[in-house]
Amino acid sequence: MGSSSKKKKEKQKDFQLKVGKAKAKPDNFTDTSFKSKSITLTQQSLTLHAPSTTHQFTHHVSLLNSKSDTQRRDSLAHLTTHLTSAPTSQPLPIPVSTLLPTLSPLILDASTTVRTQLLKLLRTLPPSDVEDHVASLMPYVRAGMTHLAADIRVTAVDVLSWLVEIAGEAVVSCAGGWIKTLNCFLSVLGWHTEESSKWSSNRAAFGKAGAKGKPMVKVLGVLAEFLEAGIGEDDDDEMEMEVDGKGGTGTGTGTGGGGFPIVQTDVHMVPKSAQPYVYLNLFGAPRDEEGEMYETREERFRVFKGRFLVPVERGLESARQDGGEVGRASSAVSKVLKEARGVDWEG
Amino acid sequence: MVKRKLGALEKVEADLPNLQHKIRRDPKSYIEDFRAQHYQYESHREIFMTAPSSTTETGLISLRELIDFIAHVADCYPEITKDFPQQLMDILSQHHLILQPELREKIVGSLVLLRKKELLDSATLLQTLFPILISTPSKTLRALIFQKILMDLRQANAKTTNHKLNRTMQTVLFNLVTSDRTSSKGLWAIKLTRELWKRQIWTDAKAVEVMKEASLASNEKVIVGGVRFFLGGDKEREEMEDESSDEEAIDLGRVKHQVGINKKTRKKSRAVEKAKATVKRRERKKNQPHPLNFSALHLLHDPQGYAESLFSKHLQSTKSKLNLDQKLMVLQLVTRLVGLHKLHIMHLYSYFQKFLTPRQPSVTSFLASLAQASHDLVPPDDLEPLVQKIANEFVSEASASEVASAGLNAIREICARQPLAMNETLLQDLVMYRKSKDKGVMMAGRGLLSLFREVNPEMLKRRDRGKDASIGLKAGERKEKRFAEQEAGGIEGLELLEKWKEEERRKRRAEKGLASDASDDEEEGEEDNWASWNVEDDEDSDDSGDWINVQSDAEIDISDSEDEKDGPPAKKAKSSESSSDDKAEKKEEEKEESAEAKFSKLATTRILTPADLAKLQELRTEAAINSLVPGAKKRDRDDPLTAEEIEGLAALSAGKATREERIAHAKEGKTDRSEHKSITAKRKERKQDQGKSTTNKEKARKKNFLMTLGKAKSKNKRSLVQTRAVLKAHHDRAKRGGRRGNIG
Repeated sequence: MGSSSKKKKEKQKDFQLKVGKAKAKPDNFTDTSFKSKSITLTQQSLTLHAPSTTHQFTHHVSLLNSKSDTQRRDSLAHLTTHLTSAPTSQPLPIPVSTLLPTLSPLILDASTTVRTQLLKLLRTLPPSDVEDHVASLMPYVRAGMTHLAADIRVTAVDVLSWLVEIAGEAVVSCAGGWIKTLNCFLSVLGWHTEESSKWSSNRAAFGKAGAKGKPMVKVLGVLAEFLEAGIGEDDDDEMEMEVDGKGGTGTGTGTGGGGFPIVQTDVHMVPKSAQPYVYLNLFGAPRDEEGEMYETREERFRVFKGRFLVPVERGLESARQDGGEVGRASSAVSKVLKEARGVDWEG
Repeated sequence: MVKRKLGALEKVEADLPNLQHKIRRDPKSYIEDFRAQHYQYESHREIFMTAPSSTTETGLISLRELIDFIAHVADCYPEITKDFPQQLMDILSQHHLILQPELREKIVGSLVLLRKKELLDSATLLQTLFPILISTPSKTLRALIFQKILMDLRQANAKTTNHKLNRTMQTVLFNLVTSDRTSSKGLWAIKLTRELWKRQIWTDAKAVEVMKEASLASNEKVIVGGVRFFLGGDKEREEMEDESSDEEAIDLGRVKHQVGINKKTRKKSRAVEKAKATVKRRERKKNQPHPLNFSALHLLHDPQGYAESLFSKHLQSTKSKLNLDQKLMVLQLVTRLVGLHKLHIMHLYSYFQKFLTPRQPSVTSFLASLAQASHDLVPPDDLEPLVQKIANEFVSEASASEVASAGLNAIREICARQPLAMNETLLQDLVMYRKSKDKGVMMAGRGLLSLFREVNPEMLKRRDRGKDASIGLKAGERKEKRFAEQEAGGIEGLELLEKWKEEERRKRRAEKGLASDASDDEEEGEEDNWASWNVEDDEDSDDSGDWINVQSDAEIDISDSEDEKDGPPAKKAKSSESSSDDKAEKKEEEKEESAEAKFSKLATTRILTPADLAKLQELRTEAAINSLVPGAKKRDRDDPLTAEEIEGLAALSAGKATREERIAHAKEGKTDRSEHKSITAKRKERKQDQGKSTTNKEKARKKNFLMTLGKAKSKNKRSLVQTRAVLKAHHDRAKRGGRRGNIG
């Protein structure tokens, strides 16, 4: 009895206290109000004029480092359309030399779409500009070729194919471009050691292999291109040289332009390439054998013969035995090799 | 279920840890994959080297991960990775200033890992890391590298001392300290040396030399570091040793028992093996002879020159930038060197002159240093004015009681080391303070009195001399010690050894049934001694035949030889022997006289074998423990004198203590005890601590009442036959010894 009347009284009291008051806050109430000096609206644009195309271009270049896959892909797409739509006579908003350092890490990008888009963009770049920056691009390509992920390996091989296409000579003669890249090829194809190149070898392949067979064909094709650029017959340059020589000695009229005493003027002039004395390596770290530049075909063939001929031939043999598309692709490489040998014997 | 979101790495299976795991299991099959990753690393390194400071993460896999991966599996492919350590070292030493912190730490870690895998030698690693340690501005990197260097040095010295490595490292540190005396880089040398000294990895003179050079540097921090080492490094080492020696004891029985109970797994059996090995190792360690480590102060090459240059450079010169505390520390070191090696520095005592006033901050430290600096080879003329000044400045009726007691204590400490510094009138004056009302002063005065009763009672007034001293004076055996007079020293505890040997022989003879006093077949005993040349005579005992026996006829009759008495005159008992023993000593004077003469012969007539020395050490420690009565501790000459000792019992004279202080004082000596508990409760607790289970009785007592109810009820309903069967079964069981029986 007593307790119930007591409760009643308390209720009454509660009621009296509650009427006309704000609702009490619950126990676990958290104060979420805050103070701020300024309020920034992320969505609103306060500029009156649309940004210029140049500005947009630089903006999208900066977005290439974005965290999101789609953002990177879209920016690449934007850059591609910009490059293709702009007239070729007009210079790029950003020179290739500054564009490439942001583009090259994307070769190793995790997202496939980004990489394919990158390839498209690269193909639109003016080849002559790219040629001078091959040396800085090659490490990324090589890193891509030995990547754990098969897709990235394929993309890197694609990029290399494009590079060989537009600047084959630069690719094979840049620092480390010959031996290191060939090493990467052997590693991609798995031709390094005798056991690993056998078709029956119980090689535990790590990582996703990608579509079986297809990448192998592609790699073999690019290898053929690469070897062609490196040790194939230099049809244009060499012919030219020979013509020069003949002209110089014979008629005295050549590209040298001078008369009899001035023969082979070109040899004594400063070369016309962008970095003529880079082979001296005056400012870089000392290079080892692998990182050295091999500028002439003879040098490259000598190195190739000493280091790679045996594993490549062994690999080709096994590829031929595989038959099918791979076998056909391997025959292209064999052809290049054969020709290279032929040239070597001649020389 | 929600579809799990895939990370970028999973999508492409660029999973280096997975590959690492696979390579570990089967290196041969994955060589191609590893080669690919190595090329990958090379390419990334190339990219990195063109722009070391760039922070952009290149794609999925960063250089850091590749380095980590290659370092972990480098031992599987030594041929492919032979350049790898050198490349890492190059990156680190060339670019450590601009590297990303994570990459930097990873490289350091990988280098240490390669060292562990023996792909890199210690010297190279240390030569790479040490220059970075002293040059990098990053605190975290410094801490990391310091730790790694220390670890590497410890590991290199774990099994045997790696002298070569230690020497090169010490040379590097020495050069670091001496090359630029104004820079604070020497601190690293100090830190490293001190740590290694503490762990007893470096115990040689070269390490001490490094610290010596550090304390003579021009940078305050370096100086203080060096000086601190000399003042506290050895104590630290001892503490460390104590700590390591009483590591948690492994109860092998318990471990075995646990294995018997719990499920048997390979892991647990391995744990038992490990415990066994640890116990065995500790046993072996215990039996090993104690490594004879000299203190840093004893290992100094030229203490006189060192003390002089310390004094002139840091204390006397006006250009020294040290503050008072630091100066005091240097002074402590200098005076300690002076006291320990009995050096003489010309201006040291006059230097003290101006600091000896009660208003000088931390004057007790100065007093302690002064006392430390006095030894029996100091000319009394140097010390006398100082004693006089202390007496004048500190000890007077007008001065505060703490001041007076500090002064008296200081004078006592000085006079204990050089009694000739005191003159008669001053002493008689000072001794009067034992009548002081203040307890601190009184105790200090008494201390002085008792000191002089011992060392030179003639200076005291007749009535102050005391009984023992007067008797001694009369007998003419208490003579004033002249300046620079040296006592003939002996081997400490030699008499104990002699006694022990005597007892042993007596026992042996008793066993054989011979007269215990006869002293004929000495030769036999000798043979035994030679046989036990080593502490543990397992293998060496045979080839001790080459040793020539020393003729020991001089000590044939050790126990009761009469002709020994008129041998060389008896030497005085040790002056520091407490006066309470004097009486007893007098009684047995005769006996002891002869005994002492004999004891001194033991060392001269026979070669003490290592076994003897070990026994001697044992006896000495035993004696030390026996005499370890609180208060009766004798001062070791190596121990420093502290300011607290000079302040002495001044605390007593500070007036009445508050209640809290008194309670705290009373509690001081007592160990803290936990709450009251019954004996059963305590026992139970102990049992639980030991991880033991309860008894069946306890279990039965604790059992839930409702669970027992059913059985209790059914018991009532049993028929006679059933009851009989139960009882019979119980009887049988009891006979057998329980359900499981008494098997085994």
